[in-house]
Amino acid sequence: MEPRCHDFSRNVERALANRNLQAAISRTTGRFLEHRNAAVRSFPGDFEAAREAASRLKLATLRDLDIHLARFIDEAERRGAAVHIARDSAEARDISVRIAREEGIGLAVKSKSMATEEIGLNEALEAAGVEVVESDLGEYIIQLAGEPPSHLIAPAVHKTREEVARLFADKLGEPYTEEIPELVAIARRRLREKFLSAGMGISGANFLIAETGSIAIVSNEANARMATTLPRVHMVVASIEKVIPLMSDLPPMLRLLTRSATGQPISSYVSVLTGVRRPGDVEGPSKLHILLVDNGRSAILKGKYREMLKCIRCGACLNICPVYQTIGGHAYGWVYPGPMGSVLSPLLLGLREASALPDASSLCGACADVCPVKIPLPDLLLELRADARAQGHRTPAEVLGMKGFAAIMGRAGILEALERIGGVFSQLLFKDGKIPWLPFRLSGWTDRRDFPAPAVRPFRKVWKSKRGVLPWNR
Amino acid sequence: MEPLGNRDDLIRRVHAALHGHGETAHRPDPRASAPGPPESIEKRIDRFSEALRSAAGTVVAGNLYSVLPALCEGLRSEGVTALLVPEGDTAARELADALMPMGPFRLASTSELLHGNSPVTAGIQSSEFAIAESGTVVSTGRSGRTLLPGLVTDVHVAIVRPGILVDRMEDVLAALAADPPRTISFITGPSRTGDIEQTLTLGAHGPRAMIAVITETST
Repeated sequence: MEPRCHDFSRNVERALANRNLQAAISRTTGRFLEHRNAAVRSFPGDFEAAREAASRLKLATLRDLDIHLARFIDEAERRGAAVHIARDSAEARDISVRIAREEGIGLAVKSKSMATEEIGLNEALEAAGVEVVESDLGEYIIQLAGEPPSHLIAPAVHKTREEVARLFADKLGEPYTEEIPELVAIARRRLREKFLSAGMGISGANFLIAETGSIAIVSNEANARMATTLPRVHMVVASIEKVIPLMSDLPPMLRLLTRSATGQPISSYVSVLTGVRRPGDVEGPSKLHILLVDNGRSAILKGKYREMLKCIRCGACLNICPVYQTIGGHAYGWVYPGPMGSVLSPLLLGLREASALPDASSLCGACADVCPVKIPLPDLLLELRADARAQGHRTPAEVLGMKGFAAIMGRAGILEALERIGGVFSQLLFKDGKIPWLPFRLSGWTDRRDFPAPAVRPFRKVWKSKRGVLPWNR
Repeated sequence: MEPLGNRDDLIRRVHAALHGHGETAHRPDPRASAPGPPESIEKRIDRFSEALRSAAGTVVAGNLYSVLPALCEGLRSEGVTALLVPEGDTAARELADALMPMGPFRLASTSELLHGNSPVTAGIQSSEFAIAESGTVVSTGRSGRTLLPGLVTDVHVAIVRPGILVDRMEDVLAALAADPPRTISFITGPSRTGDIEQTLTLGAHGPRAMIAVITETST
């Protein structure tokens, strides 16, 4: 998918104008959060300690990532997998197309994977003549609509049932129905045929287990199980930071992942897949291709943003983010939305493309509070802002504004004069303490909200008069 | 097909990014955190049942003949007319044989389910493990076992012998990690989706109902 992060402010305009979208997003995020909070309250043991342990495990794994990756590759190959390495998206697309060609694939079914969105897999395979069908219901809906996902785990949250009904009627020729169970049944029937006739199943991986070269995948619909059981070839696309060292590391990570994502103690299905079908096995693919994608991760590993690679893609930071709740996922302009996307997208795409994203945060810190692996998202956002300025990504207005601010704050006399003038204006014009309208360049603020009027009595005056009674001066 | 891309290059790149290795973090023994007193089998069954029920699963328990009426009623209410039983699964076969005249149900074949218009089918299968913490049953593809009864059917009936109940997922993985089968499938309740307007709908791609039969079997 072509990144449109540079269009962020225009994307936001569009999102803010769409009332349906906002209603859908706030309903969904609210429900996810409710479920997540209930699951945290009923966590077996100390949730905080579990977060701390998971964070440490991921950090320790990243610190020795070369060793764990090498072990994963060796173990997977020992059990019959072909492990391919892609340095960037273009190489990943090339390799995928070559795999599909070599295996003679005409139809592939996919279960949900953000890594494949990142590298633009579907478009590449389609261009090479391979039909790719998304099998997660939400992904299937947006594939029919020709849209990217707008949430990590609920990709079609922005679609109403009426829109889905219309889509199924127009694109599939199904009778129009707004009954959700019937819509689900249509997708089940349509996709069952695809599962049974596809030559290749494509999946992502929630975790790669170095000890055994295994892949762990969670799903609720069973589409991931179908896609990895029925077709004769299985292709896994995963980024390199998904590795965990041991089989025994999996359960503690899963306990956090599913609770943080949907509030479930465990997802309906967890598959741990190791190698290919063995002699005597009656099911499972006879070919397994694992495509490990770097695409900028090794560079992230190098520096101060390493902790971002702890992310397990639960989506909790999206749900709790006041910015995401208002603008939804598409406004972020690429595959990763919300706070995690505002950090990861600039790191993967560069600040020239995505410098607006780290600015789209009030730094309230809620994302860091819910993150199951304790990624310090607000700190990383701030670091990115500083990097963006250091690289010269700033507007003339911003430069001018900052210079003006510095000039005023550096001179007590001017500041006091301005405070007085502001106070008089407030007293005369803005008695309720709000400025409802500002001219031209500043109207961007007042179009949707009031600007606070200057205080009638400036803070510094209040401070002076109260000084004697402040508790710490007693 | 030969692996594509440069493996050594990746490992070198990652190694260089790490500026040497840190101290390997202290890793607590996963078992050490949960010593716990030994648990009675009844308690474990209760935990399993409660967890599975809250994942929209159904639990029936008792000896084979006492569970039959409830099970049969459950299958009928889902409109089941056929049963899928894996070859060589004697406990599943025994249960199916007892159920068939009551339905009446007939046996379905795998190929019938995979091709053409299949009847509404319940897949019956003996679970290899069951996990009390999460109400999960575990099936694997070991030694010729099939996973289809819990995958392509409309109703999944999982037979759980009390002896296979373990405390946590760790116990299952520990038992299988030395030589993991191609597929380990952890199943907790029916297939579900919330992808349209966050409305929970059962039976997305897999079974729309899941029934655990906790019973002592001869095998």
